[in-house]
Amino acid sequence: MRTFSELELDALTEAFNLSLGEAAATFSSIVREEIELSVPTIEILSRDELIERLESGRPAGADERLCRINQHFNAAGGFQTDALLLFPEHGSLEIVRRMLGDDTPIQHITELEQDALAEIGNIVINSCMSSLANLFGTEMIGSLPRVQSRTAATLLDDKNASDVILVARIGMTMAAYNLSGFVLFIMNVPSIESFMAQVSRLFNLPEHDGSQARP
Amino acid sequence: MSFQSLLGNSVDIGLILLDSSGKIRLWNHWIEQRAKRSAAQAGGLTLTQAFGERIDPRVALVVREAIDFGWSGRLSHALHPMPLPLFPPGGEHSERMKQSIDITAVDCDDARHCLLQIRDVTETVRREALLKQQARQLRSDLQSLSRAQIELQRSEMRFRELARQAPAGLFEADSQACCTFLNERCEHILGNRLDDVDDTPWIDLLPVGEQARVRTSWRLAVESATRFAEEFRYTRPDGKQLWMRAEAGPLRDQYGSISGFIGTMVDVTEFHERASRNEFRANHDGLTSLLNRDRFERHLRAALSGAREVSDRVALLFIDLDHFKQINDTHGHQAGDIVLKAIAARVRRVVRSDDMVARYGGDEFAVLLNGIGDETALHGIIAKITQAVAMPINLGSCHVRIGSSIGMAVYPDHGDDPASLLTHADKAMYSAKRGRCEQALSSQT
Repeated sequence: MRTFSELELDALTEAFNLSLGEAAATFSSIVREEIELSVPTIEILSRDELIERLESGRPAGADERLCRINQHFNAAGGFQTDALLLFPEHGSLEIVRRMLGDDTPIQHITELEQDALAEIGNIVINSCMSSLANLFGTEMIGSLPRVQSRTAATLLDDKNASDVILVARIGMTMAAYNLSGFVLFIMNVPSIESFMAQVSRLFNLPEHDGSQARP
Repeated sequence: MSFQSLLGNSVDIGLILLDSSGKIRLWNHWIEQRAKRSAAQAGGLTLTQAFGERIDPRVALVVREAIDFGWSGRLSHALHPMPLPLFPPGGEHSERMKQSIDITAVDCDDARHCLLQIRDVTETVRREALLKQQARQLRSDLQSLSRAQIELQRSEMRFRELARQAPAGLFEADSQACCTFLNERCEHILGNRLDDVDDTPWIDLLPVGEQARVRTSWRLAVESATRFAEEFRYTRPDGKQLWMRAEAGPLRDQYGSISGFIGTMVDVTEFHERASRNEFRANHDGLTSLLNRDRFERHLRAALSGAREVSDRVALLFIDLDHFKQINDTHGHQAGDIVLKAIAARVRRVVRSDDMVARYGGDEFAVLLNGIGDETALHGIIAKITQAVAMPINLGSCHVRIGSSIGMAVYPDHGDDPASLLTHADKAMYSAKRGRCEQALSSQT
């Protein structure tokens, strides 16, 4: 599987960082509270690698569910991707309830809270998507966000094992809460090839050279 | 009516379609009812023109993003409670309807359009508010329950410790008198552990002679739901004889009927012994342990009324020691006491066990003989007494002898009331004494 060179990764990080800054500003204006989105770290992983990563990051025996906000994007020219935002369910609930000024302890997320979470995902995903759309110089038609709550093991069951995933890890901080989540762009093989080519071309980077690949 | 508007009007959701320049192309019936503006009036206007300036700026922003970039967006009710000035249909409502809006980019007729789908979430909000209120109520109920539980534990611990340290035996028994609880002290007093006696009514542990009385009293307390209080003898498994006092009050179950009794079990042996000592002291002479005068006269009265009923004869003897004062003067008061004790014992031995012997005064004794026989038998007893008294008495350093004068009165021969009998016996005694003195004087000369 192809990976990004460091220069390419830096360029992508910078592009995402700018859009996430905008997303944070949008949030802050909605909830009238300071919200920070951290500088993302970016990697390319296979589906199974990602699941392994998600499962190993948590204490043994914890069966905490993850909240998944999914939007599908279609680019002109057949290129398409699923954009996903993942948060631990418990932490995201705390953030949403704090945003809504309601700390009532209900174990599961309510319909309205799920809606709010969809909007949050929508804002983050759209802002990231704007970076990609800029890179591609094309329009990306996006679907409405869909919220699902799953365990890490079953989180990506609807995706193909061969899919390649561009993973941006972001942190979200609000008041005393710290929430770490991932933004994923899941693409099939032709899409990722085209995507790679776009990245190289747009940043005017030399064609991929194995010696520059990240270890 | 176009197919488009026919479809739009048949859904229970608000639909607004904007063209690429932001002009309203579809304004369905649902919106008409809530925006107080017909499709005809709204067609061709922008959202701002149709609704005025009172729309959430984010609506316009997301609409712009949809038209310009093809993105879709959601305005959740939680973060944007009422973005559009829509009001519940029918009646005059001043407050906006609670909404949630989905904005999607739609390409049709080769042009980018933007579709707003507006949902009424009033019912959802109400339901979730109710759910949260119930959750809060549940949490507060749970908290007070756990507080109550802690308090219960604390109070239970308090009573357990109190029961452990209590200086009295504490017991709880069911209505059949089977013990369900004994504190350590009670187990100690009874000399039994709860495990060994919990299937036996505690009354069965008492001496057989006490059981019927205590059982009746217990049954009465159960039936009338009153306090139980009894004193009884108890023989501990180690053989020790005790007096016990049990007091208990009824316990009621949740239906108000008597489920048992709870109370105290106290060892009152010492109290009983002291009481019987006191009673003895009140009725007996301290030196000789014979009845005292007071008690003797009471016996006399009782004996007379008894004799009167069965026409029996009763004899009263007065015994006075001769020259007792001389013994006191010569050998001291201690010697006098020895003499009195010896005489008392001898008189006691001579008469039958149901005859009464009393120390009547300093050196005066009285005897009450019930159911006496004829004169001869009576004189026989007097002779025996005289003889017994006259025997030498060992004072340690020497022996002394002492004579006695005995006066007698017989019911009904010499009187039928205590006073006349006492007077008669007294006189008879003095005349006997005088006789003996004269006899002594004459023998000296």
